[in-house]
Amino acid sequence: MMRRAVAGIVLAILMVVGFRATGPVPPLGPFLDPANGVWAGAAATSFPSVQQVTIPGLHDSVHVLFDDRGVPHVFASSEDDAYRALGYVEARDRLFQMEAQTRAASGRLSEWAGDRLLETDRQNRALGLVWGAERKFAAYDRSSMGFKAITAYADGVNDYIAHMRPRDLPVEYRLLNALPMKWEPIYTMYFLSRMSLTLGFNDATVRRLKAEAMVGKDAADALFPVNSPIQQPIQPNGSSKARFDFSSLPAPGAPDSSVLAIARAREDLASSLAFRKPTETSDAIGSNNWAVSPKRTADGHALLAGDPHLDLTLPSVWYEMHIVVQGKLDVAGVGFPGVPGVVIGFNRNVAWTFTNTGSDVNDYYEERVDNDASPSMYKLDGAWKPVEKRIERYLDAKGKVIATDTLRFTHRGPMRRILGKWLSMRWTLYDPSHEPDNFMKLGYTKNANEWLDVMRDYVVPTQNGLVADRSGNIAIRSSGKYPIRPGDGRGDVIRDGSTSSSDWVGQLPVDKYPFAMNPAQGFLASANQQPVDPRKNSSYMGSDWYSPWRAMHINDLLRADSMVTPDDMRRFQTDPGSARADVFVPYFLAAAAKEDSAGRSDPLLRDAARLLSSWDKRYVRESHVAVLFEAAMNELATRTWDELRDKNKKPAPSDRLNYPEAQVLVELMRQPASEWWDDRSTPARETRDDILAASLRAAYQSVSKTDGDPKSDKWLWSNTRHANIFHLLRIPAFSALDIPVQGGPSTLAPSSGAGTQGPSWRMVVELGPEVKAWATYPGGQSGAPASPRYTDRLAKWTNGLLDQVLFPRTPSDLDRKRVVSTLTLVPQ
Amino acid sequence: MNLRPFVYYLLLAEAFAVTTFGLGWWSVPLVAAAWGLASRSPRKAAFASLAALGGWASLLLLDVTRGPVATMGSQLAGVMHLPAFALYALTLIFPALLAWCAASLMPTVRKTAQDSTAVPATPA
Repeated sequence: MMRRAVAGIVLAILMVVGFRATGPVPPLGPFLDPANGVWAGAAATSFPSVQQVTIPGLHDSVHVLFDDRGVPHVFASSEDDAYRALGYVEARDRLFQMEAQTRAASGRLSEWAGDRLLETDRQNRALGLVWGAERKFAAYDRSSMGFKAITAYADGVNDYIAHMRPRDLPVEYRLLNALPMKWEPIYTMYFLSRMSLTLGFNDATVRRLKAEAMVGKDAADALFPVNSPIQQPIQPNGSSKARFDFSSLPAPGAPDSSVLAIARAREDLASSLAFRKPTETSDAIGSNNWAVSPKRTADGHALLAGDPHLDLTLPSVWYEMHIVVQGKLDVAGVGFPGVPGVVIGFNRNVAWTFTNTGSDVNDYYEERVDNDASPSMYKLDGAWKPVEKRIERYLDAKGKVIATDTLRFTHRGPMRRILGKWLSMRWTLYDPSHEPDNFMKLGYTKNANEWLDVMRDYVVPTQNGLVADRSGNIAIRSSGKYPIRPGDGRGDVIRDGSTSSSDWVGQLPVDKYPFAMNPAQGFLASANQQPVDPRKNSSYMGSDWYSPWRAMHINDLLRADSMVTPDDMRRFQTDPGSARADVFVPYFLAAAAKEDSAGRSDPLLRDAARLLSSWDKRYVRESHVAVLFEAAMNELATRTWDELRDKNKKPAPSDRLNYPEAQVLVELMRQPASEWWDDRSTPARETRDDILAASLRAAYQSVSKTDGDPKSDKWLWSNTRHANIFHLLRIPAFSALDIPVQGGPSTLAPSSGAGTQGPSWRMVVELGPEVKAWATYPGGQSGAPASPRYTDRLAKWTNGLLDQVLFPRTPSDLDRKRVVSTLTLVPQ
Repeated sequence: MNLRPFVYYLLLAEAFAVTTFGLGWWSVPLVAAAWGLASRSPRKAAFASLAALGGWASLLLLDVTRGPVATMGSQLAGVMHLPAFALYALTLIFPALLAWCAASLMPTVRKTAQDSTAVPATPA
């Protein structure tokens, strides 16, 4: 009897844990089921060698051949069919990623994770990402190529979801105890909004405001200048090397605590928009691109290199594809899962790529409202205008409403209450635009001029679009909508919202965009630096630009090589040289020598200087010195910018977020006795060389203390700086962590301290009689963590190697030995 | 040599595998219950338990031949902070326990059913 009672109780418990999730543990029944559960999912990580699927509504059969790199070659007879097939195959490879990105962009993560991600959802919706995407979608021309494509793509995704067997469910859904949602065309717009947040949301005012609070307006303006003090612009300015436009930095002024409060509030807003708070400034999410004219290449064909840097994730942000529509389109490259078509790539005549311009395209306005607690009207030009309200509901996994927000909008954009003030935001993201059309039409262009025409009405995020064609043309234009502000035109201030005279008065005409075509120097390069020399074009486009170290280095490499080959282009992408180290190392060594000759040196400083002087200034994995230089640079910034820190607090790594770019530090180097060099924590008055020597000595001491003898392996750069490529859910078991990489801060393959950002796609294209391309990205085509195609590209990416991209004109042109799977979609 | 138990075992394991494949994991207690009702063996619960284990083990082996189960196992073990073998063990113990419990309960269910359908004795 007792045995049966136990059996009954155990059975009841097993049925409960079998059917229901308990805490973070998914329902065990469907999870462990070896026929339909997670184990059976292992079989779904590879595709059948031949498969045929019937798709209702398809116009004609579509043949999809997967090569041994996992790239689908889609052969269709119409664009509709091609994009529908693309939706199907991208969903097959990346369904979970597509949904996760969509939920992140549309503020619906709490439907998976409940309260834990509610705040992230609230911030995303409050920023107007969803509102903006919906406005764009509503205004989208239904007859346009882009709209038709995102609709066909959505159909394809849903076709795949309808055909999924239980075993095909990606493992992440099982862990979350969720099922895929139906894919809607608007999800493409959500994703593009999210990408605009990553690349086009530039709150340049925060650091400047914080500095203003500590050292006054004049000093802050000098530390965070509108124009880069080192000019190596994207649009060549006729100079054969970078120009140093240095001026004298004013001494630190009096603090202003009222500004600090505003700055802190803005900073909180900015960091709440990110999933992770940044811990240091970094250009690892910048990008590089360059192109070389035929006159400077070994084979006499134009060459183009694309190297966008983004968050490194598994699966990758990119999906590689080749789409052929008979007689119309033949395009290859990468796109974003969730967005139909190739964003960066090439066709039979043209190759193109992008870097982020980083221009200032969002502004804040202080509004006057009728009711501070719950405004329903705002004042404009002396009259009350109604505030647009929008109720946002947040659901949990069971569909229960767990929170409700009322969002408010003026004619400019969403309003937020910050420190008792209502600020509204204007952002080009909220304006009607059709980026899917722009990206799609690029695939049809036959030369660089046609390509530039397609990009004329591109809006957001602003991008340095680089193109090369088979006729030998190379061109670059910083495309996107650049607002024109009234008055001094600057966008790094908060404007008075009560008057329409504060509003944008127009947009920069395309002929004023930074642009160059076939320059005399024979090459073009961009690396997120200030795009145009202010002496050539003084239009305000942004401020607080990245230091142009990467731009300087790639320009140096390209100037030095008049016979560039595709393999040189590949090598340059991971070149470990650093213009930043080239500039700063001599200063450290000179300061140490000065101490020595003055009899003030000591064994520590002498050892540090000896070691630093032995360095070739290259961030290779085998370097024992790069770690010392980086520690010295951190010490230098901490000691120099002590005026920008709360003097009652100990220095912390996060302080670096508030420091000016290193190019401003170079500017300060020209003023060896400036008050900025004085370390306020000592009674003495320090000079530049005192601080440099002290920084080098302290760095050597600190690294020796942590890592022992400089000859030990602990000093190796490969033991210091790693790429950390996290799974989208940040599950370590699904991530690739601690990957030693070549490159350091501000090298062409930059590595941030956390290692979570970097080169997301590397591509080299030769525009010869037959277009040839080589490429890779960190990860693999499959989104299934157990699939051999999940990280199969990682080794080559780590070592700076590329695969040749297969680019067959017809299915029969593709080498059969390299076809691993064939999928035929047939109409019903 | 009596092969009957072995044949029964194979048939029952196959039944567990086929119904799991076709219906889902919850068919395990149903098949076990049916076995518990049909079998007169005193060790029917243990027998059902082993057969369920065998049925799921055969499905798991099939998965091994069709995909990277070991990779999946080590990754999931990492996610759940368990040793990999624990996941495999859990996958086999889960149906075994389900089947044992369901088969064990059947005599009681049968007895209850018989009691409720029996004609009451006529009073003297």
